[in-house]
Amino acid sequence: MISSSVLIHPTTWFLMGAVLLPLLNKREKLKKTVLIGIPLIAFTLIHWLPDSFGQVSYLGFDLVFGRVDQLTRVFLHVFTIMAIIGCIYGLHIKETGQHIAAFLYVGGSLGVTLCGDYLTLFIFWELMAFASTFLVWYRKKRRSIEAGFRYLLVHTAGGLVLLAGIFLRYKNIHDLSFVQIATNGATFADYLIMIGFMLNAAVPPIHAWLPDAYPEASVTGAVFMCAFTTKTAVYVLARGFPGFEALAILGAIMTVYGVGYAAIENDARRILAYHIVSQVGYMVCGVGIGTAMAINGAISHAYAHIIYKALLFMGAGAVLEMTGISKLNELGGLYRRMPLAMIFTVIGGISISGFPLTSGFVSKSMIIAAAGESHRIGLLLMMTLAAVGTFLSVGIKLPYFIWFGKDSGVKAKDAPWNMNLAMGIAAFLCFFIGIYPDYLYKMLPFPVNYHPYTSYHLAETMQLLGFTGLGFFIMVKKLKPKAKINLDLDWFYRKGARVFMQFASRPVLSSDSWINDVYRSIGLKLTMALAKAISWFDWEGIDWTIDGSARGVVEGGNRLRSLMTGKIQHYIGGALALTFIILILVMLV
Amino acid sequence: MVLRILNYLNEHSRMLKRLFFVFLALTVVFDFHAARHEPHFFGDSIIGFWSLFGVLGCLGMIVVCKGLSHVWLEKEEDYYDK
Repeated sequence: MISSSVLIHPTTWFLMGAVLLPLLNKREKLKKTVLIGIPLIAFTLIHWLPDSFGQVSYLGFDLVFGRVDQLTRVFLHVFTIMAIIGCIYGLHIKETGQHIAAFLYVGGSLGVTLCGDYLTLFIFWELMAFASTFLVWYRKKRRSIEAGFRYLLVHTAGGLVLLAGIFLRYKNIHDLSFVQIATNGATFADYLIMIGFMLNAAVPPIHAWLPDAYPEASVTGAVFMCAFTTKTAVYVLARGFPGFEALAILGAIMTVYGVGYAAIENDARRILAYHIVSQVGYMVCGVGIGTAMAINGAISHAYAHIIYKALLFMGAGAVLEMTGISKLNELGGLYRRMPLAMIFTVIGGISISGFPLTSGFVSKSMIIAAAGESHRIGLLLMMTLAAVGTFLSVGIKLPYFIWFGKDSGVKAKDAPWNMNLAMGIAAFLCFFIGIYPDYLYKMLPFPVNYHPYTSYHLAETMQLLGFTGLGFFIMVKKLKPKAKINLDLDWFYRKGARVFMQFASRPVLSSDSWINDVYRSIGLKLTMALAKAISWFDWEGIDWTIDGSARGVVEGGNRLRSLMTGKIQHYIGGALALTFIILILVMLV
Repeated sequence: MVLRILNYLNEHSRMLKRLFFVFLALTVVFDFHAARHEPHFFGDSIIGFWSLFGVLGCLGMIVVCKGLSHVWLEKEEDYYDK
């Protein structure tokens, strides 16, 4: 039974792919078949998964590799679709290492989504962090190497908090199963686990790793990363912590915080990274509100978000791939040279802003409506303000300064066919979900009693978006991008680490070398003199008093040395003989 | 084809601007006729509330964020390399 449940687990296929890929280095066609084939197999498999499989008893722990319910199915569905899109997008990449890292990363994410206990969760969780670091490093720039190390360190710290929570929880209740935690019975251990999850969801104040690392990742790496880490975290939060007030408030803060930074940043991919913080905020807030409608909203928003955010990252990535530039102040007027990428990215932009007939319209509004129905007006207004900021920064600012605005004269042509195909599929899905929301709503864990296309919702959305546009064109001069960066909370560890290093290098190192010098000049001579004195006292003083016995030992030692042949087989033989003698003695006695 | 449409629109930006204002007016007019659900809060019952929210929110966000950036957060690109 074990073998069949191993093969049914989609992670197994990605791990096998990761092992297989380096063997196919010279065979481009076969490699491409594997790259597309494995995500396709995984996408097919998830429709046939039994409700429970892969239960293993190991060292007294009950590990559950496969626990499947409606919540799992939605996330598996979008994760495997995203894996297909991402693999098509990166098909032209020659470096096998990037593909391996992506496969391990996706495999880890699917493993987390399917697991039913904290131990399995932790293992796949760390696999994700480890594999995604390589997606940053594969950009091979000095900045990305450094950003990759920071990313790894932050995630290791978060993983340790999670592990501490898991251990404490096990100590308290001797149960590792990963189930919903009641809001009134949560202990310190549960909050540690929640913090570990929140770090991956990029909840402020532990969010700065995301806008730090994602813009430095490789072009395809960023496309994968924007989909999996934060949304896996949303999944585990929705599974374990629905209804926690802290999540509702922090989520709403996240939405505004993210768009605030997106409005002032200059690097296209950093703007999009801050937008992940903002968009994941909607989901975290929905999970925190905790009603059936809010959870449905959070999940459907995760689904829609993965597609259109990947589309936006693919568009910005295509520009970066073709021109080598991602800074808005150096771009402009590209629509003549990259019309396809322009159209796709604008579709991503209007989807994320929630235009009618796009996926954002049917998913984001569900969370906002859920906040309204729970009479959480503060949350509702913050999320609506964030929607305004979203349209401002990603719907208008980003396309305007890349494709329109002043022509920068940057040379470019449209991206390779596979990149455009991947963007085309994602763009199609954005419209498909927007026009036919029941496709998404049918997958949700709770029955959906929400209709996005009401006249009031349309009136509200059109006014919000239209007048945000007006605001943009009033202030367009103020928004002109500048070649600057903005401080965020990563300052504390980026500059703080420097203070630590300075402390380590100046006072500690200099005092250390000072002590060395002192030792060398005074201490060493002193020790030598002392040693001489002691040895004279020992030889002449003590030995003389106890009748020359030391001299006797030296002579005896010389005689013993002649017995020692220095050949190891003699020693072993001697030791064996001795053991035999002892054994015989023991048996006889 | 796409390129030609875009070039055409680019050359007729004044027409676009007028169309945009007509669109804004239409959204407010549409709000008069929209069937309202049970209001969640006072804003839901005011006609044109979301227009005001949109434009003020947008301007406010630009002023606050750009202001914060200008006086505090903004640094040179090699700030962390120094």
